Amino acid sequence: MTDQAVSSPLLRLPAVPGVAVALAGLSLLFALASPGFLTAGNLSNVLVQSVILLLLALPMTLIIMTEGLDLSMGAVLTLASLVLALIVVATQSLALGLIGALAVGLAFGLVNGWLIAGLSIPPFVATLGTLGAAQGLALVVSDGQSVVGIPRFVRLVYSGETFGIPTPILIGAGFYALFHVLLYHTRFGTYVCALGGNRDALTLAGVAWKRLLVAVYMLGGAMAGVAALLMTARINAGHPTAAIGLEFDAIAAVALGGTSFDKGNGWLFGTLLGVLTVGVLRNGLNLMAVPSSVQVACIGALVIAALLVDSLRSTRS
Amino acid sequence: MSIASDAATRPIGLHLSRETQQLAYRLLAVALLCLALSIATEAFFTANNILNVLRQASLLFFLASGLTLVILTGGLDLSVGANIGLSACFAATVIKATGSPALGTLTGLATGLAIGICNGLMVAKLRIPSFIATYGMLWVLHGITYYYMAGETIHGFPPGFRQIGSGYFLGVPIPVYLMLAFLLAGTIFAQRTIWGQQIYAIGANPVAARLTGIPVDRRLILVYAFSGAMAGVASIVFLARLNSAEGDIGEAMTLPAIAAALIGGASLFGGVGSVFGTFIGALILTLVLNGMNLLAVNANWQPLVTGLIVILAVWFDMVGRRRT
Amino acid sequence: MSALMAIKPDFDTTSPPPATAEATPLFELRGISKTFPGVKALDDVSFALWPGEVHMLLGENGAGKSSLMKVLCGAYQADAGEYFHEGEKVEIRTPADARKLGIAVIFQEFSLVPYLDVAQNIFLGREFPSRIPGLVDRKRLYREAQAVLDLIGLDIDPRTKVHALGVAQQQMVEIGKALSQNARILVMDEPTAALSDRETERLFEVMRQLQAKGVAIVYISHRMAEVFALGDRITVLRDGKLVGRARPGQTTPDELVRMMVGRTVDMSYPRNFAETPGEIALEVRGLSSKNGIRDIDLTVRAGEIVGLCGLVGSGRSEVARAIFGADEVTAGEISIFGKPRRGGPDAATMAGVGLIPESRKTEGLALIRTVADNLAVAGLPKLFPNKLFSPTQARRSAEELIKRLRIATPSPNQSVALLSGGNQQKVVIGKWLAAGTRLFIFDEPTRGIDVGAKAEIFALIDQLVADGAAVLMISSEQAEIVHVCDRAYVMRGKRIVGELSRSELSEENIVRMGMHHD
Repeated sequence: MTDQAVSSPLLRLPAVPGVAVALAGLSLLFALASPGFLTAGNLSNVLVQSVILLLLALPMTLIIMTEGLDLSMGAVLTLASLVLALIVVATQSLALGLIGALAVGLAFGLVNGWLIAGLSIPPFVATLGTLGAAQGLALVVSDGQSVVGIPRFVRLVYSGETFGIPTPILIGAGFYALFHVLLYHTRFGTYVCALGGNRDALTLAGVAWKRLLVAVYMLGGAMAGVAALLMTARINAGHPTAAIGLEFDAIAAVALGGTSFDKGNGWLFGTLLGVLTVGVLRNGLNLMAVPSSVQVACIGALVIAALLVDSLRSTRS
Repeated sequence: MSIASDAATRPIGLHLSRETQQLAYRLLAVALLCLALSIATEAFFTANNILNVLRQASLLFFLASGLTLVILTGGLDLSVGANIGLSACFAATVIKATGSPALGTLTGLATGLAIGICNGLMVAKLRIPSFIATYGMLWVLHGITYYYMAGETIHGFPPGFRQIGSGYFLGVPIPVYLMLAFLLAGTIFAQRTIWGQQIYAIGANPVAARLTGIPVDRRLILVYAFSGAMAGVASIVFLARLNSAEGDIGEAMTLPAIAAALIGGASLFGGVGSVFGTFIGALILTLVLNGMNLLAVNANWQPLVTGLIVILAVWFDMVGRRRT
Repeated sequence: MSALMAIKPDFDTTSPPPATAEATPLFELRGISKTFPGVKALDDVSFALWPGEVHMLLGENGAGKSSLMKVLCGAYQADAGEYFHEGEKVEIRTPADARKLGIAVIFQEFSLVPYLDVAQNIFLGREFPSRIPGLVDRKRLYREAQAVLDLIGLDIDPRTKVHALGVAQQQMVEIGKALSQNARILVMDEPTAALSDRETERLFEVMRQLQAKGVAIVYISHRMAEVFALGDRITVLRDGKLVGRARPGQTTPDELVRMMVGRTVDMSYPRNFAETPGEIALEVRGLSSKNGIRDIDLTVRAGEIVGLCGLVGSGRSEVARAIFGADEVTAGEISIFGKPRRGGPDAATMAGVGLIPESRKTEGLALIRTVADNLAVAGLPKLFPNKLFSPTQARRSAEELIKRLRIATPSPNQSVALLSGGNQQKVVIGKWLAAGTRLFIFDEPTRGIDVGAKAEIFALIDQLVADGAAVLMISSEQAEIVHVCDRAYVMRGKRIVGELSRSELSEENIVRMGMHHD
């Protein structure tokens, strides 16, 4: 029995630096292949471009830790971004726009959570359904057109600097810190881990876990709302297909970061590394003028590799 | 005990009659939809539109029938839409390069089949949950397809080939014949072979199926391969119908295909559903979307409606399960 | 409290342990009954706990110990009966009620979250709020956790994630979790099963400390040595009924064993024991599997019913699964009718082996399908050699089996979920008959089946061996083994520890061999 205690962390060991190795390896590769990669400007670029993904990947980590999945995030982000753009263009008020985007996100999170916790519909089906619904609504509210005429103060959220640091990086760092505290220093975080690891333990401890599960999905929706602000500022428009499929990048980043779809085994810092890996991969491939389509396939291949490792590790232990 | 169970089951063959009942409801839904649309629009009850509905339903059916077998085992194949894209593009290239529709068709089918086998191996051998494995596959396929096509369109195929998608025989579109042929073949496979029976048994209780000596892994690989091959079939008909291949062909087909299977009574928990039910499901969904079209509802509502239908169908299934 | 004190329960003949002078029990159950479909799990059980005592609870598998624990901790609700806490009538409806009364239960299956650390697990649901609203006071969490670990003498970092611990350490954490709730009543189900000697010693020390503080401990054990070393009083359950009370000084292990066994089995027919068994149907040599069984040797001949007994968890089902190919074999050889068995359950089925699993509903049947479907499923390749399935023929074959096994169903198209337990079991047996099985492995064939149907199942098994099949039968009901089997193997700690011939087969011998005597 004691050898199990020794071997388990050892088994986990390859997973911990795995994503770091991937990140370092890719960085080295691109630094050698493209002279433009290893410049301060470009590295800052990588960080800025990774922030939107990070905002989705953070709550996705918690969702996956509960043995769930949210396929609707990209579509909800798109819809929230359109709603934000429409409100901002109409009222010139960033606050109202952000409230609108958050409301969209929270509403979809509530529906997702209710379908999953309340009706016990499997998460991937429930969120596949709401993905269709959000995508449809995005087309409906925009009538398939872009919403343009975004005021400058919105654009500044993405392109501006605060204290000499690009604003998105500060936003990303802020939310990372917030999620770190949430996951590791609050009851909520502990229960999120238990939701995936052992729901019976929660019931025995007298915790109403269904409400918690709904809250986790609402958190995901809210973060899609926040990400919608950055997305709108970045593309300077509301676009009905702006973030379609972005949930895949988020899931990929989480999976790369060593969070497993089983037993509440999550690692938030790993998600950060996973996001950077995806960011570096996309940026580097961009510099090498590799089409965006191949980038998707590369991410897909990386994820399948990560899942394979995950599956092999779980069968070994 | 015997008294109680006798009383509970007086109508003999309760189980069968319940399934027949469910099918009857669905056929009734088809009839009511047709009736309502005939009254609401003039364009609906024309030979042209009916044939059009059937042709659209056939494309959906190819995809959904393969998917039905996967769902029968309690799994899901999210990669079918992306599978169409890659299979169609490869088929198109081969037709262009060799001038042989037969070779092209074979290529399309083989591509679909190969993708399906990969899915099956991931699910059966590596024990990756089916929705995750096929979701990853979906994006890999998208990536390969977009890269391969590089934004290009391949178009202009031999007229003989195009007949598969847009030709008529005795006034009825050829895809409709294909649909009926696959409906028959699929029904025979699912209902009248021991493999079909084993697939139902796996979906009804995978643990018991394994402990009953059913080779579960091999059957799982079989259904994912079948689903992939049916996506290959769909890709050929699509190609012949559109007379062109693009990277995003079939992309929007996955959700409707799942919806068709679920409307048709297939249960995501496995073991319940039929190819014929899915055929009815494809008809119902096509009628709804066609009706929205005829009633001049913005086409942008279609994914929303499809998404809601998926959730509703799963919910009804859950409620029905809880009651029994 | 005062009014009820007067009604001193006269059915509890044993007075409080001499160490305590208090007149009121800390906790008392009166007339607790709990029925599950087909089984009376607890039948009018009354039992009192005094502060500072270790109360040993004994009984065979299925005697009602776990049900009693689950009722006590609020996981089950009793159908009848009352609870008294320090003489006052109380209700236990939920785990929260039980916890408020100071009852903590340590289950054998763990209530730990694998990827939380030790401290988080110990205080799950009872985290300490920090001064900053919303946050957890982690310093205090780890400090208090360390204190709990010190108390139970577990030398690990409270920040270790639980999944990285061994089973024994997890068990100790579980104990720590219960202790940290300041429980006044602690219920432990075979806590030492996974512990080393040193850990066991430490646990006993902790128990003595708790006793001194007035905590009452209910201790379930199969180890006679523990029963006599630790117990203040002993209560024996059998078939959900309280059958005996004793004090360690006034009884002997033999007397306790006699109380535990002696279940009556209603057999309406005598078995004809074969004089000369046939060819070797199953031969197992040095078998070890991934599920932990070690060095298993056994033989079953055609025409024989061979029992496999031992306590729950002794590895009986694992042996069955390994033989059937459901669990990976790591060493040893299995041959079926003289041919080595390779591959998974599909290969085993082809070789003529059939498993009737313990859990009929989750492992034996597809509940959403019909009787006919379930009867056909194992025999599909045999019934339809040309691979084409015919519903008519399947129905005909099903009707034959229904008649032959006397399955009470209005129609072959009846959903199998609607049948009674006994008839469901017949369907599981029937599916193997359709497959032409010649070696049947029964895992608890009569679990959850009423008495009349049990006799029918045994008649069926008898018929099988009379027709030349071989049977390996796992059962926790020693009486069944004694009554039915030609001979039996006894397991303990994942190994076979002995074989009993027909003349040696008795309940006492089985229990003695299967129990720990350390």
